[in-house]
Amino acid sequence: MVIYSVFVVNKAGSLIYHNDHSPSRPEVEKTFGYPLELTLKLQDERLLVIFGQRDGIRVGHTLLAINGEDVSGTKLGTDNEKNVMDVLNDQSNYPISIKFGRPKLSSNERIMLASMFHSLFAIGSQLSPEPRSSGIEVLETDAFKLHCFQTQTGIKFIVLTDPRQGGVDAILHRLHELYADYALKNSFYALDMPIRCELFDTSLQTALEQAEKSGVYSGV
Amino acid sequence: MESRMTSRSKPSILDKPLSKGKGDLNLSSFAFLFSEMVQYCQNRVHTVPELQQKLSDLGQHVGFRILDTLFLREKNYKREIKLLNMLLFVKTTVWKTLFGKEADKLEHANDDDKTYYIVEKDPLVNKFISVPKDKGSLNCAAFTAGIVEAVLNGCGFPAKVTAHWHRGTTYMIKFDEAVILRDKNMEGR
Repeated sequence: MVIYSVFVVNKAGSLIYHNDHSPSRPEVEKTFGYPLELTLKLQDERLLVIFGQRDGIRVGHTLLAINGEDVSGTKLGTDNEKNVMDVLNDQSNYPISIKFGRPKLSSNERIMLASMFHSLFAIGSQLSPEPRSSGIEVLETDAFKLHCFQTQTGIKFIVLTDPRQGGVDAILHRLHELYADYALKNSFYALDMPIRCELFDTSLQTALEQAEKSGVYSGV
Repeated sequence: MESRMTSRSKPSILDKPLSKGKGDLNLSSFAFLFSEMVQYCQNRVHTVPELQQKLSDLGQHVGFRILDTLFLREKNYKREIKLLNMLLFVKTTVWKTLFGKEADKLEHANDDDKTYYIVEKDPLVNKFISVPKDKGSLNCAAFTAGIVEAVLNGCGFPAKVTAHWHRGTTYMIKFDEAVILRDKNMEGR
């Protein structure tokens, strides 16, 4: 029972806090022979797999490392000299070991995704056939569950958890309490700004760990 | 006029004895008020020591006013004359009235006769405040230090009280020379 991450979005839709409690980015490393059966394409300064899904490597996965050396953009290694596509097209480098996976989100991407969710939430509550809808509360996928709680003031607490995690409502309310305590009562916190309060961080970590521990028992 | 005639059976508020008062207040209310106080001072100063001085001044307002009621209620009108008893009074009674618990430790400085320390691990006023890095040494317990200073000054023990980050929060109380001399003379008698 894992809690993957926590996001807090203010009433304007911008991300004011995020915490990656247990990052779970799947990574697969495999050895390949020439020619490479996967088709790679450059997108957003990253090389993505667009065809040739096999053995755990799916479409959308990014090239993360070659032979242990990390790939940044299209350049290999720390000296940033060798172009990755050249290395892959050169037969003399094979057999080659390549690591694919979902890359870690950059902070810009996180902010963008949070704003996107904010808009979707608004659209969801408008589309609802019932008046006074609560907006999106749970979003389920086969890999994770996204829970959202909107307070009276428009602040949204979003928690990404394991699908089997129970008692997430309690977690969301506890997060709201912690926000009211350590962010709002802090003289140095300005409303709707990014939350940079140590006490909020530490108490949030403790609350999440507690929830994970008790989540095990509720799952059984 | 009319209401007083009809409520003759109920004693008017001026006839009732002075009550001890309900001593309890919602922590959140106080926390929000204190957070506003710090922000108010913050907007009027330019440096951290000035901010601590302003908080201390606000504390002194509180200290002056609470001193008389405390002696009236707790000590039955008897005022403290000896230094150590006065410090114990501050540590136990004043803290208990203000925060609901006693201060953790009262200590005497090894090298300096005039300096005493009150140590508190987790002051109530700092409970929800995370000081950002650029404010460095700010300790909002300067407010409590102001309260203690006003109490001591009002009782005839002139002193300077400051708050420091040491073993939690330490209030350093520096008495005037005259106070120590007077206390020593009294011991001698």
